[in-house]
Amino acid sequence: MLKVFKKVITFAILFGIIITVIPRSNALDNTEIQTDDPIIIDAIENIKFYSSFNYQTLTADRLNRITQDFYLPANYGDVQITYTIDSKYLSLSQEKETISLRQGTDYVDQEVFKVSVKTLPNVLVGEVVFSIHASLSYNNNIDYHTFQGQVIPVIPDDFLGGSLYTLVRYGKMFLEGALLTIGISLLGTIIGFILALLLATGKIIKTTELDNKFQKTLKIFMNKLSSIYITIFRGTPMIVQASFFWYGFGLFGDPLLCGLFVVSLNTAAYIAEIIRGGVESIDKGQSEAAYALGLNYTQSLLFIIFPQAIKNSMPAIGNEFVINIKDTAVLSVIGIFELFNQATKITGIHYRQLEAYAIVALIYLFLTYSTTSILKLVEKRMGMKPLELTSSN
Amino acid sequence: MSIIKIHNLHKAYDQDEVLKGINLEIKQGEILSIIGSSGSGKSTLLRCINYLEIPTSGEILFHNENFFTSPKNIQILRSRVGMVFQSFNLFENKNVIDNLILAPLKILKKNKEDLRKKALETLDMVGMKDFAMKMPKTLSGGQKQRVAIARALMMNPEVILFDEPTSALDPEMVGEVLDTIKSLAKTGITMIIVTHEMSFAKELSHRVIFMNEGIVYEEGSPNEIFQSPKLPRTKEFLKRFIN
Repeated sequence: MLKVFKKVITFAILFGIIITVIPRSNALDNTEIQTDDPIIIDAIENIKFYSSFNYQTLTADRLNRITQDFYLPANYGDVQITYTIDSKYLSLSQEKETISLRQGTDYVDQEVFKVSVKTLPNVLVGEVVFSIHASLSYNNNIDYHTFQGQVIPVIPDDFLGGSLYTLVRYGKMFLEGALLTIGISLLGTIIGFILALLLATGKIIKTTELDNKFQKTLKIFMNKLSSIYITIFRGTPMIVQASFFWYGFGLFGDPLLCGLFVVSLNTAAYIAEIIRGGVESIDKGQSEAAYALGLNYTQSLLFIIFPQAIKNSMPAIGNEFVINIKDTAVLSVIGIFELFNQATKITGIHYRQLEAYAIVALIYLFLTYSTTSILKLVEKRMGMKPLELTSSN
Repeated sequence: MSIIKIHNLHKAYDQDEVLKGINLEIKQGEILSIIGSSGSGKSTLLRCINYLEIPTSGEILFHNENFFTSPKNIQILRSRVGMVFQSFNLFENKNVIDNLILAPLKILKKNKEDLRKKALETLDMVGMKDFAMKMPKTLSGGQKQRVAIARALMMNPEVILFDEPTSALDPEMVGEVLDTIKSLAKTGITMIIVTHEMSFAKELSHRVIFMNEGIVYEEGSPNEIFQSPKLPRTKEFLKRFIN
């Protein structure tokens, strides 16, 4: 028991450490211009830098993802510009070079200063801000302006390095995804459980000889309704249900609420069957004793049968929660950024699938394993027989 | 004055007729024992009295009134007729004292504190006061049955139905339960007991009926039935028990 806790806590702390060392990206401010010469203002606002990769254009606000050499223009129209950079990651050459830039179908020469990347920060350091101090001269008029940019670490080519990079750099996204996954699963299970109580009641309710016509019709109606509901929701994949309600109806106008709705409805169908099984496994003598004392059907259900059935079903209901942790992954289809979808998003940044999905698999494993361990512990404490993790829906 | 009148009671499960026309009258304060072999319908008869089994036809009058008219009336009848089961049927999710006070709390809507006081007194009467806070599964069979008797008494019933109260018990626990029922008999409450304990039936009952194949085959005082049974099936049945 202590061992389980130790394991869970160690995992959690490790995960926590990795998350907390993540560098945060700084908001760059390239907006403040301290001059009133309109030509210089125009230069500052429209100046373009050039990447060493195909001389692609970098505007001032796109200097925040520097991983390779780039060029600073020596002039903007008639405005002459010189630069200084103080950063241990970059070096500025004082020699002017000429590069030819493509403009439409022609090539235009442009004089530039080359900025070489000496080294990149490692992933633990994260983004490093640098400043380019530019002095702009026009008609013997000199003005100064500072542009800000960031050098960022690049993803290593090997799997291990790539995984570490992905985990550290995007740990926060994984954490957000994991929290959302747990949140939806837990809430969905709780709401599903409450709905399941109603469904199970509908399913087990029986007509008696003394019911009047209205009661009989009502009971049969509830019976049929519950059965149909359970059949439909257990008989269709959750991915279809989610798409149906979100793309079909745009339910609640928010994919998150719609997703929660689908998980709850889906879980309700499964838990209803669990509870029905639980009710049926209760000795008939329990309800007979209640009736013999003069309690009615509702009272017997409420005070005697359901408490016992629910207690017996608790392991299976906990299991349903664990299954939900895994199955909420399908909600990515309606654009909820839970754990799996976060991973997919991350793979899109560097086009590296293996690392992100490996990490996400480990996080899922951690979540299900620790939840199962905790549930087992609780069940043991309450004197119930724990269940092994069974199939997913 | 009769408290229960059973008139031409039939009970069939599909084609299988278990009770084939029972006529019976039970007087106020009477202790009636029902004996007979398994499958003779004695438990079914008992369970028909509080409608745990729904009669196929016939009529049961309680204080000359038919309660089989609405669920509400059936509940009223049941709250006035206690029942003790063979398999105890204590509520597994409640401790002993909550087992006792649940029904009076929900049906008679009495004050909880008064009920707890009364429950402790009733438990004291069956010798189970020290077990008030225990869960049923920690009790022995005999203890469970004594609690079940106390639970039935909590509703102040006018009649108690005993459905083979000692059949599921280990032999050494039968005595404690029978003693409890005997002490109950002294209070003058009407009791109908289905039992296989012949000496107990003989000692306690005012009247004994022998059931065979769904009918009241023979009835009489304990002495008549046990000393000098008149009919062949009764003789055969009792021979087995006496020896």
